[in-house]
Amino acid sequence: MSSHSNSIIQASGISLSMGGTQLLANASLSVNMGERLAIVGSNGAGKTTLIRCLLGLADPDSGSIELNGHPLSETSRTELAQQIAYVPQQLAERISFTATEFINMSRYAHTGGASMNQFDHQGTEAVEEAIEQTNISHLRHQSLSTMSGGERQRVNIAAALAQKTPILILDEPTAHLDPKQRGLIHKLLANITKNREITLVVITHDLNWASSDFDRIIGIRDGHIEIDARADTFMKKEVLMKVFDTELLLHPHPDSGRAMILPHSSCSSPSTSSPKS
Amino acid sequence: MTDRAKSKVLVTMVGFTLLCILTTPWLGQQLTSWDVLFSPKADKVDAIIFWQIRVPRVVLALLAGAGLSLGGVVFQALFRNPLATPFTLGVASGASLGVTIAMVTGIHFTLVGLSATSLASLLGAILSIALVYGVARASGKTSPSTMLLGGVAISFFFSSLILLLQYLSDAGSSFRILHWLMGDLSRASMDSVLQLAPFVISGIVIVSIFHKELNLLSITDDIAASRGVDVHRTQKLLFFAVSLMVAGIITVCGPIGFVGIMAPHICRILIGANHRFLIPASILFGASFLTLCDTLARNITSTAEVPVGIVTAILGGPFFLWLLFSKKNSPV
Repeated sequence: MSSHSNSIIQASGISLSMGGTQLLANASLSVNMGERLAIVGSNGAGKTTLIRCLLGLADPDSGSIELNGHPLSETSRTELAQQIAYVPQQLAERISFTATEFINMSRYAHTGGASMNQFDHQGTEAVEEAIEQTNISHLRHQSLSTMSGGERQRVNIAAALAQKTPILILDEPTAHLDPKQRGLIHKLLANITKNREITLVVITHDLNWASSDFDRIIGIRDGHIEIDARADTFMKKEVLMKVFDTELLLHPHPDSGRAMILPHSSCSSPSTSSPKS
Repeated sequence: MTDRAKSKVLVTMVGFTLLCILTTPWLGQQLTSWDVLFSPKADKVDAIIFWQIRVPRVVLALLAGAGLSLGGVVFQALFRNPLATPFTLGVASGASLGVTIAMVTGIHFTLVGLSATSLASLLGAILSIALVYGVARASGKTSPSTMLLGGVAISFFFSSLILLLQYLSDAGSSFRILHWLMGDLSRASMDSVLQLAPFVISGIVIVSIFHKELNLLSITDDIAASRGVDVHRTQKLLFFAVSLMVAGIITVCGPIGFVGIMAPHICRILIGANHRFLIPASILFGASFLTLCDTLARNITSTAEVPVGIVTAILGGPFFLWLLFSKKNSPV
């Protein structure tokens, strides 16, 4: 477990049940300032419920969450939005706002009732910086409904960056993306956190990415935090078995030597089964 | 579409609405001379028709059209459903049930300037709002989809009660109920304008203040909350403010259909989904559209007026289909 001295988020013994199902059971974690933390686990393990609790979107039945030493339950939505930005899994295709409109909206917590683009000069700078960082200048006036999944996800991240918060929480930011788009998002997140000014919390199923780009990995199973370890010690068969209840194939990366997960072969070799062309 | 282009569309809409205001009072079976403009108090038939019948009717159509269209914009954003309007949530059927009961029982009285029918309509609408919200809250399920389904169920329940009462009533009452259900502005007077204005104006003011929250709420509750919106408080406030505004409109004009559901979509096609532009656009479009429809409704035949609710659907349906299929990248 990490030290609490530098912690920006501190959750202690949080439990949450819904409709008779235990979604989180006595989960405790701390997130340190400037840290890159990955949360992994099987589908339905409680990862999204955990971050919904950290974001104040779900109220735990028991336990406590503190943000910068203050109870989350006593923090207003505006104060919370000035501290944590959230990137949901995927934006629905039906959203027809342009990229600029969508990114501008993330300045809500800073502008209050003032009209966007008129009084929020800092906001205009933040929006422009986020557009530049995510390389989406060409999408400014395009509707989200006409963008590809990768483009929409970059706009999604740009909006969170424009919120100018010290903490960024992302829920499976590369799910449903092709390898090229995944690589772009990985690079983008590595760039924005390289100065350690932003604390990054990411839910992902990409264990190879988690082990290579993050400082720490938390493994959740059935609502319990099974393991909280440094990334370089996470990729071990026994650890992965504990979290995923399945045997995963590990192999060293040819360049870095880090352990990588390879898919199990589930069919006979291509030489014997490939169709004739 | 840039903000500059959207502003131009809005300016065009303002111009069109002004044109409607300036021209429609002059249109009717009875030609009126320009003199009436300078003698509003005169006893001449021309002046009475112009100032006491047509002008209040145009103002009433403007207010009702603006309110119904705005109600649709807000409910479609709050419930993230293109078919949501205050009508879908049972406000219209609640008001209609109140009026049906008043008409079948033949109650006649006036209370603080409101007739028994108006009062029954307002009470019916408030009852349906309270029922939808109360049931959702009591069950702990205030999600948009649950409230929408609850509203649809209550709407069907009230509609069936209306049909039952109509079936059991005499022919005269049944015809009056049917006529009221079609929506009608022929009862317009300065009194009805003064009754309706506070509902619509307060609704417009409240919704306009919350245009940024509506943008965020139209995406998802989680996005809105994570950006800093107090989701439950804002949803509750907008739900009651808009429901009451529409209840006021139905009380005075009857349930005029189509405007609330289609005008917001037409405006989204014309100006985009940003509520900073969509709210004024839908107010202007709804106001001018209902005014034009009502002008047509009172002039389409020389013998009798057609209820405006019929005209709104006959004119608006094909227009909406044309816009929907002719414009590329339509946000609808």
